[in-house]
Amino acid sequence: MIDKIIDNYLRFLSTLTPADFLEFFWFFLIFEFFRYFLVEFIVLILTEVKKVTSRKQRASASAELFFENPLVSILIPGKNEGKHLYKLVNSLSEQTYKNIEIIVVDDGSDDDTPAIGRMLEKAGLIDVFLRNEVRGGKASGANLALRYSKGKYIIHLDADCSYDFDAIENILIPFYMELGVGGVGGNVNVRNYKHSLVTTLQGVEYYNAITIGRKVTSYLGIYRVISGAFGAFRADVIKSIGGWDIGPGLDGDITVKIRKKGYKIRFAADAHCLTSVPNTFKKLVKQRLRWDKSLIRFRLRKHNDVFKVQASFRLLDFFSAFENFFYNVVLNFKWYIYLTIMLTFYRPLFINVFITNVLLYTIMNYIKFLLFSLFRDRSHSSVSYFLIYLPCMVLYFGLFLRAVRTIAYLQEIFFKMSYKDTWNPRKTSIHAEYLRL
Amino acid sequence: MGQAIHHSENRGTRIEYAGHSFLHIKHLESLNIEDVKNHSAVIIETRDLDYVRMIVSRIRGNIAPDIYLKPIFLQSRNSINDLVLENLVDGRISNLDKVASLVELVEENLNRVQDLTFANSISFEAQMITKMITLMYTKDQKSLLPIPYIYSSINFAYPLLSVNFSETDEHAVLNILDIAESEGLFRSEYYDRIYLCNQCSSSHLSYREVCPKCSSSNTKSDDIIHHFPCGYVGPMQDFKNEIDDKLDCPKCNKRLRHIGVDYDKPSVIHECKNCSHTFQDFFVNAKCLSCGSDRSVEQLKSKIIKSYFLTKKGESAAIKGFVTTTKDIDEIFGTIKFDTFKTMLKYEIERLKQTEGSSNICAIYIRNSSLVYSKLGSTLQKGLLKDLISVIRSNIRSSDVISFVSSSTIILSMNEIPNKISNKIMGNMVRLLEELIASTFKKLDVQFEYKVVALDHHKPYEEHITELTIDFI
Repeated sequence: MIDKIIDNYLRFLSTLTPADFLEFFWFFLIFEFFRYFLVEFIVLILTEVKKVTSRKQRASASAELFFENPLVSILIPGKNEGKHLYKLVNSLSEQTYKNIEIIVVDDGSDDDTPAIGRMLEKAGLIDVFLRNEVRGGKASGANLALRYSKGKYIIHLDADCSYDFDAIENILIPFYMELGVGGVGGNVNVRNYKHSLVTTLQGVEYYNAITIGRKVTSYLGIYRVISGAFGAFRADVIKSIGGWDIGPGLDGDITVKIRKKGYKIRFAADAHCLTSVPNTFKKLVKQRLRWDKSLIRFRLRKHNDVFKVQASFRLLDFFSAFENFFYNVVLNFKWYIYLTIMLTFYRPLFINVFITNVLLYTIMNYIKFLLFSLFRDRSHSSVSYFLIYLPCMVLYFGLFLRAVRTIAYLQEIFFKMSYKDTWNPRKTSIHAEYLRL
Repeated sequence: MGQAIHHSENRGTRIEYAGHSFLHIKHLESLNIEDVKNHSAVIIETRDLDYVRMIVSRIRGNIAPDIYLKPIFLQSRNSINDLVLENLVDGRISNLDKVASLVELVEENLNRVQDLTFANSISFEAQMITKMITLMYTKDQKSLLPIPYIYSSINFAYPLLSVNFSETDEHAVLNILDIAESEGLFRSEYYDRIYLCNQCSSSHLSYREVCPKCSSSNTKSDDIIHHFPCGYVGPMQDFKNEIDDKLDCPKCNKRLRHIGVDYDKPSVIHECKNCSHTFQDFFVNAKCLSCGSDRSVEQLKSKIIKSYFLTKKGESAAIKGFVTTTKDIDEIFGTIKFDTFKTMLKYEIERLKQTEGSSNICAIYIRNSSLVYSKLGSTLQKGLLKDLISVIRSNIRSSDVISFVSSSTIILSMNEIPNKISNKIMGNMVRLLEELIASTFKKLDVQFEYKVVALDHHKPYEEHITELTIDFI
């Protein structure tokens, strides 16, 4: 059986002309290879060039930051995060940038978070510990912390993350490198990548999507999501837009709101943060359904004005939203069209086309992973660890995540399921749905 | 029984009745404390409670048994509304015509006093315990109950013991009672818990909610409001407008209408008006009204207030005399027991009969010992006495011996030395002791006196000791 398939496949390859290749693999060539390899590779080279040429500018920005020494407010909202707090504040006390105030908001925890928080506040390890007896959701927790922050810059952290000793310094430097920067995203990577197959695959995914992907989008000026795990904002800017709106997906939402105000968003690749990702496929599905729904809710509904030609129209905002929408939503459904064409018109060759696609993606993944590794600022994990898992990425990214994305989009487009997500309290979601937020 | 005879004297009025002499005191100025010894009881006319308290305290706080054990009666038409005072006195008469009613009480007291044997208590704590249990015995009182008392620095008084201490040193009462309990003289029951200033041990504290950062009590509080539609969260102040008393969201300008539907109040926030710090949990500080220190309540000293009940051993100690406590000082290196000293003195006098030599006994007296020891506590007191003995020992010959008559009186022998030289040595020694105190116990004023008596082989040893210590006891 397998011999037959191999024989058949080798025959297919020997008869494959360039015209056939384009006919069968146009999806890979036009969308995947072009966008995720070629463009990224070129931009990565350009970012390296820029990094070298702007070395002096960066040094003077760093000097300016330390000369001015502005107060930086670190906001850590969350529910039942008490167990992470001591480790987190300890890692913050190691930071090279010292003029910080730590504000922790306990959003209606039902564990021992209040006791831990009060204790840390009393010990002087936390500057302000605020507790809402009744849960109000992530946005309300962050907004409460924002209300009582005094810093010139605001950094939003997740309690279960940890940070490089110079992460705060590095995430602040972009504000001093160019004018008009409203927010800077940190480089979030996976801490528990060795835990299971699903965390390892996410390790590769985060590397591709964040370390590489955001470096590229930042360079192109279309960077669109400052991660909630590690994001810095100018206090005056974030306060002027009223802080965070109701989620889920509030990270992307606030980034768009800042962009729409005319501010630049930058990515600090050298501001490293490690986070723990879902360690089972079930948990991952739940998380991704939430994230993917927010794309429809925020890009297509709440912020669809960026697509309209009006007084506030900005080309970069348009491209940012368009690229996001096109590559995630349009191509997601386009892939099904590709699959249908293949199954309908090329049915006898389907297995051969499928095998070739898998090989193409796998080869691209290997080349990309090894080649792009040269652009890594620093690594918390060895490149070689992931090599054995790269073949799985085709199934993980191409089939598993695509399926999850499809379900999420359909749920949101037709049923507005994000408003029913228990991630937010019902009392707030009901208003968000009514007001189409 | 007959008519009471009144004799007016400079020091108050003496009333004689049924063979007993009652000292009638009208004014504080008319009290000569030594005069109390010459009467069977004291009657104080109650015009002003403050002066009555002072007179009673001077009598009960004295260290001489024939003063502090004397029955005290108040002359008052109305009952005295002061539990502590009532505990310190033995009864009340409405006027002096009722003196006859006191006779039985006085005689009973005298009989009880005759049961008592007074041993020389060496340590300050033992002296205080002796005073307390002998007073309890003469008053036929089996328990020592704490009385909530506004004039006490620890807010509770054990009248028979507390009367020996000034307000600032009253916390020492608790240590003495602990010692008495550990000696088995009392059993105790839990009554209450108090908190004392860690600086001055006063319980006169003002508890206040303060800012965790600057400890200021000048704060304001506000409800936190969460506006559901836009997620804005802030103090109610943010939602107030200048036009009416309604609340509008500062982020989305919507009017807040229905709590629980479009907004809620998930918490309360406090802001310090002094340092602008915002917080949700106040710190609780205790400001000491005595010394002014302002500390977190966690730093206060916690003490248990107990009710004490005299045990059989306690009663027996009252009658037979209570000499030492385990915290006593007879183990101080370089001293011998007073009984041994007396025996050695007896032999020295016998020896002098044969040799016609010149020997002396000397005494060093700490004039303000009660004050000094109450300030030091038992551990430091022992340290002080050890230092004193060490200095004395290094200034006398090794053949001479040292002993304690009491915790305030040290006695030593100086054999085969002329009286003049003994006096000189003692003078130098007291100067050295004063220097030692000044360098070791700063801020502590210890007043010394000394006396030297040349031994006369014609007199018994008891007479020598009496001559030496008469001025000091």
